[in-house]
Amino acid sequence: MRGAARTALALLISAWALPAPAQETAQVLYAQKALICGVEGDETINRAALVFRDGRIEAIGRRGEVEVPEGAVVHDLGARWIMPGMIDLHSHIAGSGLNDTVFQCNPGLRASSNIIPHNPRMKLGMLAGVTTILFIPGSGSNIGGQGVLLKTGPGGYEDALVRAPGSLKIAQGDNPKRWGYGMQRTLMNHHIRTTLRKGKAYAKRWEAYERGEGERPERRLDLDIFRELEAKRTQISTHTQYYQVVLASLNILTGEFGYDAYIDHGSFDSWPLSWKAEELGVAAILGPREVLWPRLNTYPKDGRVEGSAWGFQKEGHPRIGFNTDAPVVPQEELPLQSAMGVRYGFDNTHFAAVRGVTIVPAEVAGIDHRVGSLAAGKDADILVVTGDPSDPRHAVEVVWVEGEMVSDVRGERGEGREGVRQW
Amino acid sequence: MVALAGLLCAAISASPAEGLAIQCAKILTMNAEDAVHAPGMVWIEDGAISYVGGVRDVPAGWTLLEEDEMWAMPGMVDLHTHIHSGGFADTNDMVHSVNPELRAHPALRPANRLVKLACSSGVTCLLGIPGSGTNMSGFGVLYKTKTSGSFEEVVWKRVGGLKVAQDSNPARRAGTEGWGNCRASMGWTLEDVAGKALGARREGRKDPALESLEKVMHRELPVLIHTAGSEGVVNTARMWSRKYDTQCVISHGSFDGWKAASAIAEWGVPVNHGPRTMDYFSSRNGRLNGTGAEYDAAGVPLFSLNTDSSVIPQEEFFLQGAMTARLGGDPYRMLRALTIHPAESFGLAERVGSLEVGKDADVVLYDGDPLDTRTRVMRVWIDGEMQFDREASQAFF
Repeated sequence: MRGAARTALALLISAWALPAPAQETAQVLYAQKALICGVEGDETINRAALVFRDGRIEAIGRRGEVEVPEGAVVHDLGARWIMPGMIDLHSHIAGSGLNDTVFQCNPGLRASSNIIPHNPRMKLGMLAGVTTILFIPGSGSNIGGQGVLLKTGPGGYEDALVRAPGSLKIAQGDNPKRWGYGMQRTLMNHHIRTTLRKGKAYAKRWEAYERGEGERPERRLDLDIFRELEAKRTQISTHTQYYQVVLASLNILTGEFGYDAYIDHGSFDSWPLSWKAEELGVAAILGPREVLWPRLNTYPKDGRVEGSAWGFQKEGHPRIGFNTDAPVVPQEELPLQSAMGVRYGFDNTHFAAVRGVTIVPAEVAGIDHRVGSLAAGKDADILVVTGDPSDPRHAVEVVWVEGEMVSDVRGERGEGREGVRQW
Repeated sequence: MVALAGLLCAAISASPAEGLAIQCAKILTMNAEDAVHAPGMVWIEDGAISYVGGVRDVPAGWTLLEEDEMWAMPGMVDLHTHIHSGGFADTNDMVHSVNPELRAHPALRPANRLVKLACSSGVTCLLGIPGSGTNMSGFGVLYKTKTSGSFEEVVWKRVGGLKVAQDSNPARRAGTEGWGNCRASMGWTLEDVAGKALGARREGRKDPALESLEKVMHRELPVLIHTAGSEGVVNTARMWSRKYDTQCVISHGSFDGWKAASAIAEWGVPVNHGPRTMDYFSSRNGRLNGTGAEYDAAGVPLFSLNTDSSVIPQEEFFLQGAMTARLGGDPYRMLRALTIHPAESFGLAERVGSLEVGKDADVVLYDGDPLDTRTRVMRVWIDGEMQFDREASQAFF
């Protein structure tokens, strides 16, 4: 019904006002398996067919059950798998100028000033299947500024932009201690809270004004981000690790101020707070360090290596994702981060390692209406993989970003890929 | 629980009196024929392998271990490691620029924490070498990653082979001489000491400082050479294989070193690649080059991998193979690069690197493909004695 109405409207417009926008030819992918990473926990479709056109996915389902538009270009991928483009919520490679550490709290600074779209490092990430990143300031100060959600594909800033502000970057762990004058965690938390209180009061004044109560507040560029946070249009991504630091993050950012926030890093002995993060709805985006090595004396563990993802999952946390902190771990190794999570105990029975680099970060960043899964209506950010991406021997061979084929290395990896010795 | 684990270990280690037979789904022998037995059996007697092949009747009185879901592979061999002291301590004596008299074995702490982790990931034989702070930093110690035992019980060769460093790191050394050390200078320093060792042997002079180096110069001991970049790789190969006829193995060979691969393949110089197995910047061809895959494809003999542990953690040795496969290498050949190739290139294949009759019973049981990150190492035997049991230890891999 809606479709018919839209068609009628389109006809009307084309007849009376504008020339009809030329519709692209639809493209169809046939794959042995689709990891769809569905919001509802749907996992895979065997013998899958996916139709996309004009940069969007039109349909996905079992081959034979999906209607294929007439004249569609068919890509038969044989034994290969398809999956949604991957998302990294902690990346520093989209440009220059990582840390403006003049002030201790800088909520007004915007990473968007620094972006060099589709630079060589982004391109490498894209080739490996990382199609969306959150480009954020570093952790040299307690509030580094505003991140930007970007596609890694070709084009200018406007083409790449998914959302600005992508997040407010807060840093509560060790790095900002270096900022100066011997400050430690207590003082850092005090300054973060002070800034958040100012920001919240500012946002509330604007809300009141928009309701017709009170005078128009004076614009404060440094505090405008809090109007976005208050309206839940963006989130706080917080550099936090160690039990006591994560506890402060949870208590302050979500408990006290009620903002949407997620743990970024969550390393060392953070995971025993998994229950509290879950209670407050705070997701855990783990990395680049995701193993706890037997060396840490403060946290005895019988000489074994423990995985952060294992710990968070063991405690029942439903939203666990992975990051690279690129270039700390190269952008192109995002899937390796989740694969190593599996090695160190993370249960991957239901492709949690793939969900942790696709739909989980998409939901956490509030961009799951566009990316993170293979579903009708979403951006056609699609990867062709030689097999299960949780196994690092398998690699991404073809990448589409918003329906544009930006990489195809089939055949360039030697006959090796499909003809390798089986054992 | 501990007592129970102890009992279990005792039960499935082969005692001298009777043998142990391990039956499993698949045995990757890594022998010259690339034999795979599925299902198959490995027999262990007196610490050595006495049979590898299809399933057959086990002699009376033996212990039969039926693991019908598991895979067996020889323990992995890493030639470039620095975990013998339990950290990076004691790995670089940087007083002189060449140190042919130094030996790494006094720094060895058997069964240290890092060695135990190595064992639990299926790595059973290590060459623990000095660092690359000087041009010739001394002789490495060859040892097994047993999780207990004395120095004598874990060490195979006190003097396992020489470590030379010819590129990058030793250039930083100013040392007592206080000079800036670049490639030409490093080349001179190395040829100077090599010439002295050759001269000592020729003239019958007894010089304790040159004794082991003399053996290297006469192929009686192998040498592992830290080198990188295309010019470094080709220089190193020319010196140690053309000018001097040594049993040399090029270690690292990183950055655009792979561009020299066809030359050194022609000269027959083996490459022990890692910890960096990919290159983007130095190769300047606009691609992310899987450098390991490039070496192997160029036909370098006995291509093997390393971790340079703890640069890459020793327990992630297998991942070097997985990542090299990811970037274009043949996955099966990467298993050889972790086992028989390092063993052969360093003259160790008589005892380790494959599952063959007469070799040390260094056997690893996996619950799947050894190169897959999701696979777990379940049990490890070294010299026929069980050193690691995942269920008893509750380790993750």
